[in-house]
Amino acid sequence: MLLGVDVGGTFTDAVLFDGERVYTAKLPTTPEDQSLAVIAAVEEVLRLAEATGSEVESFAHGMTVGTNALLEERGVRTALIATHGFADVLEIGRQARPHLYRLCGPKPAPLVEAGLRFEAEERVGPEGVIEPLPEGEPERLASLVRDGEIESVAVCLLFSYLDPSHERRIAEHLRRELPGLHVSASHEVLPRFREYERTSTTVIDAYLSPLLGRYLGRLGEAAAATGLPQPQVMRSSGGLAGAGEAAGAGAWSVLSGPAGGAVGAGLLARVSGDGNALGLDMGGTSCDVCVVEEGEVRRTESREIGGRVIQLPMVDVHTVGAGGGSIGWRDEGGALRVGPRSAGADPGPACYGRGGAEPTVTDANLVLGRLDSGSELAGGVDLDVDAARGAIGALAAALGMDEAQTAEGIVRVANQEMVRALRVVTVERGVDPRGFALLPFGGAGPMHAADIAAELGIERVLCPRAGGVLSALGLCASDRRRDTTRTVMLSGAEMNAERISAEVEELIASLGGDTDDAEPEVVYEMRYAGQAFELPVPGSTRPDPADLAERFAAAHEERYGHRDSDGEVVLVHIRLAMVSPGPRPRLVAAEAGALEESTREVRLGDEWVEAAVLHGEPPADLRASGPAVFELPEATFVLPLGWHAEVDAAGTICAERAR
Amino acid sequence: MTALDPVTLQVMIGALRAACEEMGAALIRSAYSANIKERHDCSTAIFDAHGELAMQAEHIPVHLGSMPDAVAAVLDLEQRPGRDWILNDPYRGGTHLPDITLISRVFAASGLLGFVACRAHHADVGGTTPGSMPARSTRLEEEGVVIPPTVADSETLHELASRMRFPRQRLADLRAQAAANRIGTLRLAELAELHGERRLRAGMEEILAYAERRTRAALGALPNGSWSAEDVLEDDANGAPRDALLRVTATIRGESLVLNFTGTDPQVEGNLNCPLSVTKSAAFFAVRVLTDPDAPPSAGAYRPIEVIAPPGCLLNAQPPAAVAAGNVETSSRVADLVIAALGGARPVPAQGQGTMNNLTLAGEGFTYYETLGGGQGACPDADGPSAIHVAMSNTLNTPVEALEGEFPLRVRELSLRRGSGGKGQHRGGDGIVREIEALTPMQFSLIAERRRHPPRGREGGEDGAKGRNLRGGEALPGKAEGALRPGDTLRIETPGGGGHGPPDG
Repeated sequence: MLLGVDVGGTFTDAVLFDGERVYTAKLPTTPEDQSLAVIAAVEEVLRLAEATGSEVESFAHGMTVGTNALLEERGVRTALIATHGFADVLEIGRQARPHLYRLCGPKPAPLVEAGLRFEAEERVGPEGVIEPLPEGEPERLASLVRDGEIESVAVCLLFSYLDPSHERRIAEHLRRELPGLHVSASHEVLPRFREYERTSTTVIDAYLSPLLGRYLGRLGEAAAATGLPQPQVMRSSGGLAGAGEAAGAGAWSVLSGPAGGAVGAGLLARVSGDGNALGLDMGGTSCDVCVVEEGEVRRTESREIGGRVIQLPMVDVHTVGAGGGSIGWRDEGGALRVGPRSAGADPGPACYGRGGAEPTVTDANLVLGRLDSGSELAGGVDLDVDAARGAIGALAAALGMDEAQTAEGIVRVANQEMVRALRVVTVERGVDPRGFALLPFGGAGPMHAADIAAELGIERVLCPRAGGVLSALGLCASDRRRDTTRTVMLSGAEMNAERISAEVEELIASLGGDTDDAEPEVVYEMRYAGQAFELPVPGSTRPDPADLAERFAAAHEERYGHRDSDGEVVLVHIRLAMVSPGPRPRLVAAEAGALEESTREVRLGDEWVEAAVLHGEPPADLRASGPAVFELPEATFVLPLGWHAEVDAAGTICAERAR
Repeated sequence: MTALDPVTLQVMIGALRAACEEMGAALIRSAYSANIKERHDCSTAIFDAHGELAMQAEHIPVHLGSMPDAVAAVLDLEQRPGRDWILNDPYRGGTHLPDITLISRVFAASGLLGFVACRAHHADVGGTTPGSMPARSTRLEEEGVVIPPTVADSETLHELASRMRFPRQRLADLRAQAAANRIGTLRLAELAELHGERRLRAGMEEILAYAERRTRAALGALPNGSWSAEDVLEDDANGAPRDALLRVTATIRGESLVLNFTGTDPQVEGNLNCPLSVTKSAAFFAVRVLTDPDAPPSAGAYRPIEVIAPPGCLLNAQPPAAVAAGNVETSSRVADLVIAALGGARPVPAQGQGTMNNLTLAGEGFTYYETLGGGQGACPDADGPSAIHVAMSNTLNTPVEALEGEFPLRVRELSLRRGSGGKGQHRGGDGIVREIEALTPMQFSLIAERRRHPPRGREGGEDGAKGRNLRGGEALPGKAEGALRPGDTLRIETPGGGGHGPPDG
């Protein structure tokens, strides 16, 4: 049996897959200690399946411990050791101001205060050591750390990606002399150039690792007490790692939660589509989007979280503040805006009847008949249509529009936020969205999917059967994955086949070597001499350099409209992942006979239409034409006029727009 | 005009903004010179068929308010699909010579749809000093190749580049600019297909009107009245230090604002002079900071503002005056001045560092240009941030590991200049200390302000610390040129921001 548990902002979802059936459980998240809800959800799902912990073969876990601690600045007391003269690099950053026109818009405070940023007397340059690390220097730094009551240290010296000898001596000494201390060394975390980005990443790693260690320790004990295997943790890169490994590398699991959803989207894109899909995970307060290409979730090498840079491979998830609870409002120029403020779960949308008075996206969907007034949302909330209409009506009066136009406007503006997010991960990365299916999940995604698809010129929507718990399902099916990267800077005669394959061999060895079932995935990042940004080209472990250079030039032409035939190609970085394929759960549709059919008035495409309503889980081969509404157990899928749908063997509703 | 509904308006704003951002990413990622690829000293924008700025990416403020003049300079020239224009002439649509602007026309079935444009600060444009940011120029021609609006065919680009240092790098950066425009052209054409050409035209018009409404609403909320302010520039490149006086009177009547710079000194012999487009750009920036920082960045936001500067004054310089520092230094002071004057109408921040601390280094086989952040002035309700560009620039620093890998330089120190921000109820931000060692013989050119007059505090807040320039232990003036031998160091300590409100005790 495969167990996946995903912790979200509102709910903790557990999925148990016994080879035939998928059992699910949903419980409120316990923010003070996420492991409480995790274990409770596991017990619930085991009860439903009438199974015991010892029958579970693998226990995969996605969490938000790291993300939350980073966003709320609740990591451990951390010190930084930097090269003499550069302790402030962490605070100066790239000197960018956060907002062009809000002069005192705050910069995020450095995670290491000035008094805990220590400088090492040493200097390495692009050609190697300039000023050797003096005898006794590691000891002096260790005593500063000891006196500071510090729990964790980041060591980040200039040019350590080229020559890590000084950094290694200091890190080894600290680990030897201060055994309770966590040490993150930048050449181990991220051996790539640009000192601020490397420092920021290493500091985040140090800041979070001890917290993760404690959390995963508690969870591991609780799992053992339930007879479960030790948890495997989803990393930001979209692969699983053992709890021990994850606990020592805090920066690697900051996007653990969204990564599970992205992997779930990848699984469904392979099972129900042609492998190319845009994942759209819309919850209560925000929406995460990602790109799946040929069955693989796309990754990025760098991003900011809360204004702080992490430069590590991560699933390329982009988040915008558009969710069911996002609030619609009129700005000073008279435009209708939605979000980023959200009514959250408390008071929640006006239709929750808990005192929310401002109109939300959920209220708009209810007024438009897309959500059923008789339905019950997750958590057992009954919906109050009159409260929703009251809130929408007040905004309508301010805008000079009628109620239906205003509700439609809220939905369209929210959709536009999501369209913008999808454009960021597609067109802004040079990818045409029209070659993809849209794959909506999360509680609210399927309701908006068809309109968003139309806006982007997408013809196909895949709405998964288990859309409400797809993230947890993704965890069950995840690969085990270890990532590493290295700056090699090879060009001309140095960029030869022997040298490249030797570098790759060393990278494989650094990840513990070639294990039985792990396959290497290698990406070569190149640019023309003189440029600062690389384009990635995948390749084998023993690539032909001329072929790499040609494929780079072709990618450059595709992206920027020209190639530089006189330009020298530089192989800047090699990225390597060792991937052991995860289980491939066989997903099936529901049995026939459990579907209730009715009709109701739904506002679609500027008019009220009589739509078919299909309540329950649709069986394989069921066909429907829009206008129709699928009321699934955890989500509602709206099929507008001009769309046709067919349910496939995995239970996915595959919808297509008539041309 | 076809009025658009409020929803379609937001949809188009989002789409145009995304197109501008995508143009910027293509430019930065395919560029070759450090100033563009690492420091992002470039901007991108989309204009409607009348040449009015519809949307711009939020990059460099001084580019943003001045790009409309670049498009205006080619508006009446012959329009043909596929024809791009290049220019840098400060008196015909440019700002200072290193900023080269590339403009492409976008056509659809119904005719000219609009323009896409990008501007980048090039590492050299063939001036008398390498890097083409001289401290001591007195005529425009000394600052580099002057390019009036010219058709940007391949032959012309080669010819222009051949008159500059490192023509291969110039051409490569210009190709990156062309890549940005190509993406902008594609996106605008796609939008025309998606929404229909008429609706897209109406949308761009409505964005202008919407930004205008928002700015008017913000101006209307301020009291009517007239307020003046004065400040000085440190005109000390060519001999005895003197101060050049700048003056503005800001008048609010209802929902409009007049900024009258009459009373400002005549243009000077050095290069602190501003073409009018730079003056306008800085004035618009300051107004936006004080009115509606979140309005869509379009020309509509500037319609309620009239800028008056008599021809021949320092803020409306006439050829052949030199202008290299006008764009980077005088522009900062214009922003200070407008903010100070509008301090009569509403609470405003204290002064920030008020300079970009421009450093150009050049030797065998290279030129390198960078600018340094400093302290922001404190706001009435918040401390000023440290170590950032405070007004008309928002360029990044060059990572030490990128700089030393490419140039014969070694960075000795990069730190916060602690205590340089003025004390106050809210503190001014701290400046930066950056010390660079030359590893081979080279020339330097330094253009900086606020070396003799500190950024002022406000409402009882203390002044920020003045900046300092040092070669070895020897103090240099604000504007200096000279040689560095291997082992020589330049140390630049950038100004702190002024404090706001009286400090405790």
